[in-house]
Amino acid sequence: MAGLDYVKTIGMISAGGRFTAGRGFTGPYALAISGDGRIYVVNRSQIRICVCDFEEAWLGSFSDGPGMDDGQLYLPTDMAFDSQDRLYVTDEHQHRVSMFDTEGEYLGRWGEHGGGEGQLNGPSGIAFDAEDNAYVVDQHNHRVQKLTRDGEYVSEWGGHGGGEGQFDMPWGIEVDSAGYVHVADWRNDRVQKFTPDGEFVSQLGESGGGEGQLNRPADVAVDSEGYVYVADWGNERVQLFDPDGEFQGLSRGQATPTKWTEDFFESNPDERDTRAIANMYPDLPEHLNDPYRASSQTEPFFWEPVNIHVDTEDRLYVTESRRHRFQVFRRA
Amino acid sequence: MDNDIALTAHLMRRAGFSATRDELERYTAQGYEATVEELLNPGDPQVMPEDIIRRLHSSLDEGPEGAAAKWLYRMITTRCPLEEKMPLFWHGLFATAYSKTNNSRSILNQFEMFRRMGLGSFKDLLAELSRDPAMIFWLDNNDNHDGAVNENYGRELLELFAMGVGNYTEQDVKEAARAFTGWTLGNVDYMRVKANKDSFSPFGRIAWHFQYDAADHDDGVKTFLGETGQFDGEDIVEIIARQPAAARFLCGRLFQFFAADEVDAEGERVIDEMTRSYFESGYEVRSVLRTLFNSAYFKSERARFARVKNPVELVVGAIRQAGDFRSPSLAIEQVASICFYMGQGIMRPPSVEGWHEGEEWIESGALIERVNFVSEELSNVDLPGVRRIIERVAASNGATMTPDELVERCLDMLGPVEVSEDTREVLTSYAGRLGNIDLGSREPGGREDRRVADLLGLIGSTREFQMA
Repeated sequence: MAGLDYVKTIGMISAGGRFTAGRGFTGPYALAISGDGRIYVVNRSQIRICVCDFEEAWLGSFSDGPGMDDGQLYLPTDMAFDSQDRLYVTDEHQHRVSMFDTEGEYLGRWGEHGGGEGQLNGPSGIAFDAEDNAYVVDQHNHRVQKLTRDGEYVSEWGGHGGGEGQFDMPWGIEVDSAGYVHVADWRNDRVQKFTPDGEFVSQLGESGGGEGQLNRPADVAVDSEGYVYVADWGNERVQLFDPDGEFQGLSRGQATPTKWTEDFFESNPDERDTRAIANMYPDLPEHLNDPYRASSQTEPFFWEPVNIHVDTEDRLYVTESRRHRFQVFRRA
Repeated sequence: MDNDIALTAHLMRRAGFSATRDELERYTAQGYEATVEELLNPGDPQVMPEDIIRRLHSSLDEGPEGAAAKWLYRMITTRCPLEEKMPLFWHGLFATAYSKTNNSRSILNQFEMFRRMGLGSFKDLLAELSRDPAMIFWLDNNDNHDGAVNENYGRELLELFAMGVGNYTEQDVKEAARAFTGWTLGNVDYMRVKANKDSFSPFGRIAWHFQYDAADHDDGVKTFLGETGQFDGEDIVEIIARQPAAARFLCGRLFQFFAADEVDAEGERVIDEMTRSYFESGYEVRSVLRTLFNSAYFKSERARFARVKNPVELVVGAIRQAGDFRSPSLAIEQVASICFYMGQGIMRPPSVEGWHEGEEWIESGALIERVNFVSEELSNVDLPGVRRIIERVAASNGATMTPDELVERCLDMLGPVEVSEDTREVLTSYAGRLGNIDLGSREPGGREDRRVADLLGLIGSTREFQMA
């Protein structure tokens, strides 16, 4: 049975107020990696897109908000690169998709509020196939729309409900290497798999907190061998399934210090020294031991894992909006 | 005016956050005492689901406004309003502030504890309060050690939380403090450093948990309120709970929060009855409130509109009646700020003494905020609750209404609200500027609707609407 091996953690919270240009994340919500390996992280609390690399070098940030002007973001939700290294950012308040190049230059946008073809109502997940078709999760229209990378409508599927091919506030999306489309069907507690044309193939998960069960899955990723990773948001964990949808393992998270936190502790020895003698995995009373509250009290655990991403080396990145970091894993 | 529905409206202003006309009719149909029992025995509150709030209102709730917003959603949408009103009462009595603690998640956990235990045993509540991490940090019990006592929590427990000045000695304070030595936070040194520096780093706040440190507990013999033994904190709250002074203190505070700002001779007799219920029930808050809500005093005409609504009651009540915030919106954080500007910031009490209620809510700046907020909510024809009120006003009379009839009907649908003759004259004059109104030809959101909504907004600005 496969499992998840922890690799490392990257990030920490950035300073607030007028110092937001500094290194760090605040409410990170999605992550995408460019062709040259740069890691882009979009933040919701102090809104901007940050750039770093796997070795934790800080490479800067761009865009800002909240705002409605071109190039600005309001409630950014997900990001994806197309084959030409253009970065697409969905925004569920703006009901549109904004495009940037890898240097942060604004390239344009598409989408408008509505329920018609090419219109969006709370767009969340976005992913591209090998032909650069965009698949956009249209959250409040409970559908997936397939569009060209310039936003021209191609097709759609879905509808509100719990049946096969229907959705209830879907969130994340992934296109695997074979072209299948996987959708985190958030309020139906499952992940559905479709052909590129939207034909239902299979689903995994059911409501609950046990192994293989899901509680409001936020995102899904698939590695090169077809293993499926699910951000089990309501259970504050990540689960791994094999290509047949069989449960393989899970992680509650096990974050460790990063290069950035080590720098912080170097200049804040009072926090470093008292933290060193703290038990970061406390025993909690029953009324505080549900996943959400346990994560609020157990810093190494995932807290609101909203986004997961598999890179070209099959490493898994788990972005946690409440802990201002991402944890990296590899399938064992 | 239908006295039954007026009485129900009075109950819901006090035990809840006001109610819509549709809700009042449902409660009235089942009867007053059955409604009291429904309030005292909350079932499924059917509040806005937490997953929806967390997804669609994805702020970090690290500060007081963001955290308060999470509670406001419950107050606005609950079908069990007393279950949310009790935490508001306890938050005022056991006032714990964001300032100093810098840990809103831990204060939210305290509110959840108030919700879970707030209608049960006062003894059990005091015991849980003594273990509450936010309270421990707020009143320095983490610095209360065997051989180096910090009296802060022991003193406030007796003075402000459970007994009142004059009912204990300085020696009782010291002995209570000794009994609570070793009641502290987990990872106390790190948590203290983070809180004192207001540090978010490196990965945001870490909520607190209680830890009993036996090695730091003074397990010697203590004499407290005339009793002697090897007391721990549990024994201290047990002894407090059986004191007549504690019963009187709690019942008096409940009376002033739910019944009247000032206690007169008749009010004293009601408090006597509440005190009897306290002991007969084994210190149960639910029984005490049952006695209060079913008392002739509480149900009398003189008790109605006799208390100034506190800001949270006023704001949440207006939102509930107007039907605003039926789905999550970041704008709710502005509502939390408005409550603060009116003098009642959730998680922002002015001191450990809580808020000074009654007429002190009405100072000039706060009054303008109060009037503006309610008027804007009730005059907004885009809000579903306002549209529902207008529909019911329109359905009630013939197609055409005189200004008198319109005022009467709007007052009825908003409460009913009982107003003085002077107030009614002003309202009628305003309603009459454009003569009679013909609601038979109204279009939703159109000119006639806006005339009615403007009148609703004006009613919201009256002295009577600002009272509970």
